[in-house]
Order: sequence, then C-alpha cells, then structure tokens
Amino acid sequence: MKYFVIGDYDTVMGFSLVGVPGQIASDAAGASSAFDRALDDRQYGIIIITDEIADTIREKVDKYLFSESFPLIVEIPGPSRGGVSRDLHALVNQAIGVAL
Amino acid sequence: MDTSIAPTRSNLLKLKESLEFATLGHDLLDQKRTILVSELLRLVDQAVNYQDRMDAAMDKARKVLMRTVLEQGRLKTAQLSSAVNIQSDFELSERKVMGVRLPQVQTSFSGQGPFFSPEGTSILVENAIEAFREALELMGHLAELKVSIMRLAREVKKTVRKVNSLEKIVIPDQKQTLAYTSDRIEEAERENYILLKAVKKSLSEKRGGQ
Repeated sequence: MKYFVIGDYDTVMGFSLVGVPGQIASDAAGASSAFDRALDDRQYGIIIITDEIADTIREKVDKYLFSESFPLIVEIPGPSRGGVSRDLHALVNQAIGVAL
Repeated sequence: MDTSIAPTRSNLLKLKESLEFATLGHDLLDQKRTILVSELLRLVDQAVNYQDRMDAAMDKARKVLMRTVLEQGRLKTAQLSSAVNIQSDFELSERKVMGVRLPQVQTSFSGQGPFFSPEGTSILVENAIEAFREALELMGHLAELKVSIMRLAREVKKTVRKVNSLEKIVIPDQKQTLAYTSDRIEEAERENYILLKAVKKSLSEKRGGQ
C-alpha cells in the first residue's frame, strides 16, 4: 500500500523527498482530477490532501471520508492555514451528529 | 399495542417470552453502546494528540523545506527529490471492536542513503527528508485513527437508534400487550366463574323446588 499526496507545489515536493508520489493541484478541477487519479489506482491506500484543496472538492472528499471504507483520507493543514487542523470533535459532530 | 392476539394462556406465555427476549436484547445493546462510546472517546483523545503532533511535524517540515529552497533553489531541490529513492509503504491490518472493523496502519520506509553527492548540496535537504519522514509516519497513525473514529461513531449511532427503539417503542408496546392479554384472560375467568355460579344456583333452585 502506498501514500498519495494532493496539494500545493511545496507540499508535493516535500513528500516526494520521502518517496510519496503526488499531484499538484490549485483549483477545483485540478483537485478533482488528482483525486480521481488517486482513487483509480488501487495501490494508493492513504490519500493525503491539504485542507485548502480539499475544501474545493469538499463534497467528494467527505463522501469518501465518511462513507467509503477505502482509501483512507488524511487532511493536513495547508501552508496558509497556519498549520492547525480542523477540530476533530467538530468533525465527528458533523459526521454523525454525536456530540462528544 | 397488538389487540389482535387471542387472549389465551399459551399466547400469554409467548408474549412473556418475547418481552424477556426484548429486555435481554436491550441490555446487550446498552452494553455494546457503552463499550463503543468508551472506545470512541479513547480514540478521539488519541487522535487529538496525534493531530497536534502531526501539525507540529508538518509545520517543522515545511519550514525546513522552505529554508532548503531558499538556500539552493527550487529547481535543484526538486531535482534532488527525484534522486532520493526512499520507498514509503504501509501495511494495513485490522482489529475488531464489537464487530466494527478498524484499520491499523504500519508505515515502513526502505532505501538507504546517501542518495546524492554531499558536495554542493545542503545539509538542510537531509533535514527536510527526516522531517517529512516523521510527518508521514504520524500521518499513517492519524489516518488510522480518523477512519476508526468515523466507523465507530457510525456504529454508535446505529446502536443508539436500536437501543432507543427497543426502550421507547418495542418494550412498552409489548408490556401493554401483555397487560391487555392478561386482563382479558382474567376477565374471561371471572365471567366463567359467574356463569358457573349462576348455573349452580339455578340447578339448586330447581332441586329445592322439587
């Protein structure tokens, strides 16, 4: 199983330093095609996507995050977000309506 | 409440059995819910912890990369990144909590350095590789935790719905049906008793009259 990264130029380059293939995306169309490419290839088990890019195709990402069992998706904070991820409690709340 | 059931003793027994069964099911599901919720809370705490660490690791990795780019240019860094042939793989295994399948990710790296000449390249490249390797490892765990949380939460939701429907609808309904049926049986018994009394009375009157 392999990782696949979708994000801005620097993120993709950084991860390619440790042998993770990726695709640079900057808008919804690019993100969508990169996402589809990662989904098509069964060897990619975890998709790493920056949250700015994920936001452009939020519907698609959430569908896989919440309902599909595979592949696993991790959102990482993009460079402009100041390096802080979305609150997990809020995410769980949003996903299933169970308040923790 | 089901009033169509014939008020007989064998039906009463059946109803009692099914009420017992529903209560047992409710208890079991309630336990399942408790276990799932405690597992969920544990995982969320863990995930929050991992997320903080991952955020920090990503932040560090980005900064190191940025310095690398500043020091030796973007083009050269990109060229170096294609020279580095570290393979990052992960093993996907599973564990089960109350029948919910949770993934477990084990990241492994293969490929030994040096990948490029130390001459003319900055130590920062090595640092960047190290930093991203760390971030990636954390990310594997985070992916595992996030997906586990989503699946557990979905199962909790399902279980809560089942518990509620048993508690609020099925069990009260069955209790009502049971009460109704036993009332009907008692009523029939009383009726029968009175009928017998009346027959006895009329018989004894007949005998007394003769």
